[in-house]
Amino acid sequence: MFDDATLARSREIGSAWEEAYERLVAKFGDAVLERATNATTHSGIPLKSAYFPHDVDDLDLDAIGAPGAYPFTRGNLAAQYQLMNWANQPVIGYGLAEDTRARMDMLAEQGMVGYFGQRFYNLVYDLVSHEGLDPDHPAARGRVGQCGMGVYSKADMARLFAGMDLTQMNVVHITYYQVVPALAQYVALAEERGVSPEQLRGNTMNWYHQSAYVGMSAFPPRQGHKLAVELINYCSKNMPRWNTTNFFGYGVEEAGGTAVEEIGFMLAYGIDLVDACVESGLTADEALVRFGFQIAQANDFFEEICKIRALRRIWATTMKERFGAKDARSMHVRIHTHTSGAVLTAQQPLVNLIRTTLHAFGAALSGTQAMEVSSYDEALAIPTEEAATLALRVQQVIQEETNITSVSDPLAGSYYVESLTNQIAGAALELVQQIEAQGGYIAAQESGWLRRKVEDSAERWRDLVDTGKRTVVGMNKYQTDEPPTANLFKIDPEAEAIAIKRVEELRANRDHGRWERALASFGQAAEALATKDYSELDGSLIEAAIEAARADATTGEMMGALKSALGWRAPHEY
Amino acid sequence: MSTEIAPGEPIRVLLAKPTHDCHDRGVRLVAKKMRDAGFEVIFMNFLLPGEVIRAALDEDVHVVGISTSSGGHLPLFGDLLAGLAAHGRDDAVVIGGGVIPPDDEKTLRSWGVEAIFGPGTNAEQAIAMIKRRLATVSS
Repeated sequence: MFDDATLARSREIGSAWEEAYERLVAKFGDAVLERATNATTHSGIPLKSAYFPHDVDDLDLDAIGAPGAYPFTRGNLAAQYQLMNWANQPVIGYGLAEDTRARMDMLAEQGMVGYFGQRFYNLVYDLVSHEGLDPDHPAARGRVGQCGMGVYSKADMARLFAGMDLTQMNVVHITYYQVVPALAQYVALAEERGVSPEQLRGNTMNWYHQSAYVGMSAFPPRQGHKLAVELINYCSKNMPRWNTTNFFGYGVEEAGGTAVEEIGFMLAYGIDLVDACVESGLTADEALVRFGFQIAQANDFFEEICKIRALRRIWATTMKERFGAKDARSMHVRIHTHTSGAVLTAQQPLVNLIRTTLHAFGAALSGTQAMEVSSYDEALAIPTEEAATLALRVQQVIQEETNITSVSDPLAGSYYVESLTNQIAGAALELVQQIEAQGGYIAAQESGWLRRKVEDSAERWRDLVDTGKRTVVGMNKYQTDEPPTANLFKIDPEAEAIAIKRVEELRANRDHGRWERALASFGQAAEALATKDYSELDGSLIEAAIEAARADATTGEMMGALKSALGWRAPHEY
Repeated sequence: MSTEIAPGEPIRVLLAKPTHDCHDRGVRLVAKKMRDAGFEVIFMNFLLPGEVIRAALDEDVHVVGISTSSGGHLPLFGDLLAGLAAHGRDDAVVIGGGVIPPDDEKTLRSWGVEAIFGPGTNAEQAIAMIKRRLATVSS
């Protein structure tokens, strides 16, 4: 990037600085030595105290490039927020369908907006649904509508979207592994309203890979992987505007992993997934254009920004060079930022507003496509209306008051930012090699290697916090005696009884014959999937799921069929 | 009485987490730190409280810890305490962790849950509490 004369001069300037730096540090002696000479990022990447042109002497200008130019380090498109601000995507979901709908309408009224003024709803299902159960299951007690919406059937879906035009919005269905029933119920509702699958826009999570590091019961890794490919196959033929798959990097960091692990794991999984999609008969481009990412924005301000720039570069180069991707959209990393919940504190909760503002600020500088900002009371309970509105205001202030959105990738060319981007990219590629040497992501998931890696990082971090080497304001430093926060959000205790009554009524009133036939066919499709290899996947399971949803099959019934055909186990059983 | 500990016998702890609650970073770390401290730790995920009660009886543990960050803690602890008592194991030390609102914490304490280790506490505090509590019993 720099000519030899510039680099030579840079080294001279750098040496002079280094001497001056060391003299200054020596004056203060041991008291500052550790901090002044051994700084590292959260991932453990060593940091210098200042950066110069020669710190990026191995970097080709083309690797940085321009916004919208391969390898997309500086962002996916030539025009970014100038044309289209990032979408506000607060995660919404609690109580019954109509409770969630009320929060959707409230936030829309408060200015929550998607691309070009369109409606964008980021909806999360409740724990009962995540476990693949119905509200009348004994394990559902106390959990209906907790941490998400109690939506278990096409009928609940109809309550959620009552009176709304499904062609005029983008709906993200945040599930765990009940991806298939949720999509099927949504498609079945749309059909009833005369809307065809190809008109629908939105997102399924399709993220079975997260059971490598997220502690919930799941399908065995290879069966989950097949479910993911099956859905991609169906959507590529029938739902061309639907974003099929979300790469859950966020969960890696939230479980304790580092920034390097977050993007390294995602690239390693991307390689496995594209391989399997190609084996199933799709081209790399057909699968890749509808992938997206959920990425964390946590406390290490510059590392989190550089992580995103690095991910865009290594994803694009891998997809182009290894899989021959041709469509630029196949090389893009489309990011939904979720600001970190794990770094928020129950102590002095209002301080979390400052943390989340910094996270959102970093995400804006990194060029994200959509954003959820955590509410300040998340370490305590489900966010109140006031806290959810404030979280939206964080985005609106950055978008509309700071002028940040006028310039794309504003940190490009910073010696520090380019050097750290490079180092993170290198470390992540090294991690991908380690995973591939074990047979790839799914193999490393089966062996428990990925989980161990994340747990080791979590422990390393926690030890630093417990010994005071890393500060958490209000928790291990600057503590105060404070009264417990009043005004915590509570789910209406009636919700559970209503949800149970509704599912009982649904079972009593549906066309029993049609339901029985449809669920049996779905079960057979699931049994067939269990023994298929990737080349035999064709989307037929999803078609059977949609027919079951039309016949009012519930989430618990459909997940029951999948669990019995594919296996289902607690997260620490392998 | 199972909470009486013979000399040289390790403290046995059962740590359990509902399967649909993904927030297991804390409790997995606590399990590791307790093992490092010399405790015998059984970690399990469960769907229904009965599974925890069964494991506590089978493994004859001194301590049962439940981590929950996703609501439903009141019926869960209620069933657990009743189940242990029904099998004559109300001597077991029951503790909790995760995200439990202060009002519910008060309720749980009144039912006999001995401590709640919420966000911001650390494994050492739980280890110290268990050692202190079981030393009182065996002395």
